[in-house]
Amino acid sequence: MPHPNTIVIDPVTRIEGHSKITLHLNDEGRVEDARFHVTQFRGFEKLCEGRPFYEMPSLMARICGICPVSHLIASAKACDSLLAVRIPPTADKLRRIFGLAQVTQSHALSLFHLSSPDLLLGMDADPAKSNIFGVAEKNPELARDGIKLRQFGQKIIERLGGKRIHPAWIVPGGVSEPLTEANRDAILWSLPDALAIAERTLEWFKSTMERFREEISTFGNFPTLFMGIVKKDNGLTFYHGKLRIVDAAGKVVADDLDPTDYAEYIGEKVEPWSYLKSSYYKPKGFPDGIYRVGPLARLNVADRCGTPRADQELAEFHELQRTAVLSSFHYHHARIIEILYCIERLEQLLNDPDILSKHVRAVARPNALEGVGAAEAPRGTLFHHYKIDDQGLIRWVNLIIATGQNNLAMNRSVLQVAKHFVQGKRLTPGMLNRVEAVIRCYDPCLSCSTHALGRMNLQIQLVDADGTVLDEVARA
Amino acid sequence: MSRVLIVAYGNPLRSDDGIAWRAADSLDKKFPPSEVEILRVHQLAPELAENASRSDSVIFIDAASVPSSLPGEIRAEEVCPTLCAGPSRFSHVQTPQDVIALAERLYAARPKSFIVTVAGASFDHGESLSPSAEAALPILIERIVGIVRTFLQQKA
Repeated sequence: MPHPNTIVIDPVTRIEGHSKITLHLNDEGRVEDARFHVTQFRGFEKLCEGRPFYEMPSLMARICGICPVSHLIASAKACDSLLAVRIPPTADKLRRIFGLAQVTQSHALSLFHLSSPDLLLGMDADPAKSNIFGVAEKNPELARDGIKLRQFGQKIIERLGGKRIHPAWIVPGGVSEPLTEANRDAILWSLPDALAIAERTLEWFKSTMERFREEISTFGNFPTLFMGIVKKDNGLTFYHGKLRIVDAAGKVVADDLDPTDYAEYIGEKVEPWSYLKSSYYKPKGFPDGIYRVGPLARLNVADRCGTPRADQELAEFHELQRTAVLSSFHYHHARIIEILYCIERLEQLLNDPDILSKHVRAVARPNALEGVGAAEAPRGTLFHHYKIDDQGLIRWVNLIIATGQNNLAMNRSVLQVAKHFVQGKRLTPGMLNRVEAVIRCYDPCLSCSTHALGRMNLQIQLVDADGTVLDEVARA
Repeated sequence: MSRVLIVAYGNPLRSDDGIAWRAADSLDKKFPPSEVEILRVHQLAPELAENASRSDSVIFIDAASVPSSLPGEIRAEEVCPTLCAGPSRFSHVQTPQDVIALAERLYAARPKSFIVTVAGASFDHGESLSPSAEAALPILIERIVGIVRTFLQQKA
């Protein structure tokens, strides 16, 4: 039974994982504080102790059914460090192709299946219709495009890895099998359709932005740092590079950071009300070191994409604000530009003359007792850090997941939205949906970030100054 | 385009929840791919609507956790072809009805569809089936073979 002065939303829908939101009111009945509680338990780091290091990529992929490839990549890179090998150039490119396919399908899931109901039907739409069926009814082409784009990414993963979910194709030292000519040609053949969908989606999204002025100005629209991996030329990348951090003005505050040294500049704080840790930039301390990762951050830190259409769109994106683009609503926009980039980049990589090389794996025994792997997952920067013993058995694991790095920003975003939209002691569906929708902008994966398996829900509470639960919303 | 689509869904690492995948392994050898396409998935997703739309008929196989059923009990029923309204419609956890309804709405396709379930006894971690599910497996396979043959004969 909730306290009569608290509003609870439970579960938050259309996200990956289980959580609840509490809204706390002051004496005047206005929202004073808000918390995004992640109620899943974190366990994978302990579970892996004692396992042979070469099992790690496959084990880590089990963290998530949406972005197993990101965990495969970061884990394999950490294992490459343990082996102290330089993987063959073709294996490097094939891993990139794998990662780009996954970003495409994961972004498509977030945008089309989870957030498009808000964008197409509006934030005040009937909750019973705010789903893919509502989208299918209002704009069937958009629904079909979402399905096709997800299939496009999943099919590439299946062609390379043998299956769509939890493929074990990426291994320490490279990949297990080369790309066949038939698979390369089939993927190349599928690119034009995917590109057309990306272009169509971008055009549709831009046409909707005017309707969401109020949301753009209140959905996580505040100054923070932004972090992402960039290439040597400061271009967008998902696979490998240096870390770059920019501030809200768009000014570079840290550059050329080696991801291996992440512990020197990333701190993690545990809060008693959530299983999700909150990451912060150590030089600025907690909570001033709040930073964001993921599509919005990547486009804020990157100077260029390196592909023609994505570069055009990035330039336009940077024009949205003279500073860094601050509103988390623009995660959606950034996500579509990244899809465009992924498809263009796939074409570049698949046309590489060495892409069919059979030399795709370096073999070695462990040559180091500690290794770090970092990559850009769809939701942001991902770190895997392992320590092994002389027998190659895992002794210690640390994982820093994108959603944890966005935790402070997600909490602050919920507060900003609640302060603006929640009035009085009762929640309307529109208020509730906006509080949920700002979380969806980040596309959080709570199963990833807590490394738990299973439950997929969320709730919101409205609490007054005395801690009384005024209202609680929970959906089964 | 295959004439029959079999969607075997469940988690093969959760004991009886993997019975659909085990059935799929046997069914693979019984029909040519041109006639019967078999997909193994962990859960139903909107993308399956497109696969379903390209088939004359669809058979979903799943493990059921129904207190009123005896472990190993097999049930087969036709999938309601119309969209059944419900309060929970998570976009990546869907029912066979959702998949078929989406196929109709998005692709104007209305494949004849069945859901065949086996009541599980254990959904704990593990790759082996409980004795009751193991005993039900050959009966399940025969049941599905019968449904597939009926579908193929209807279209012949």
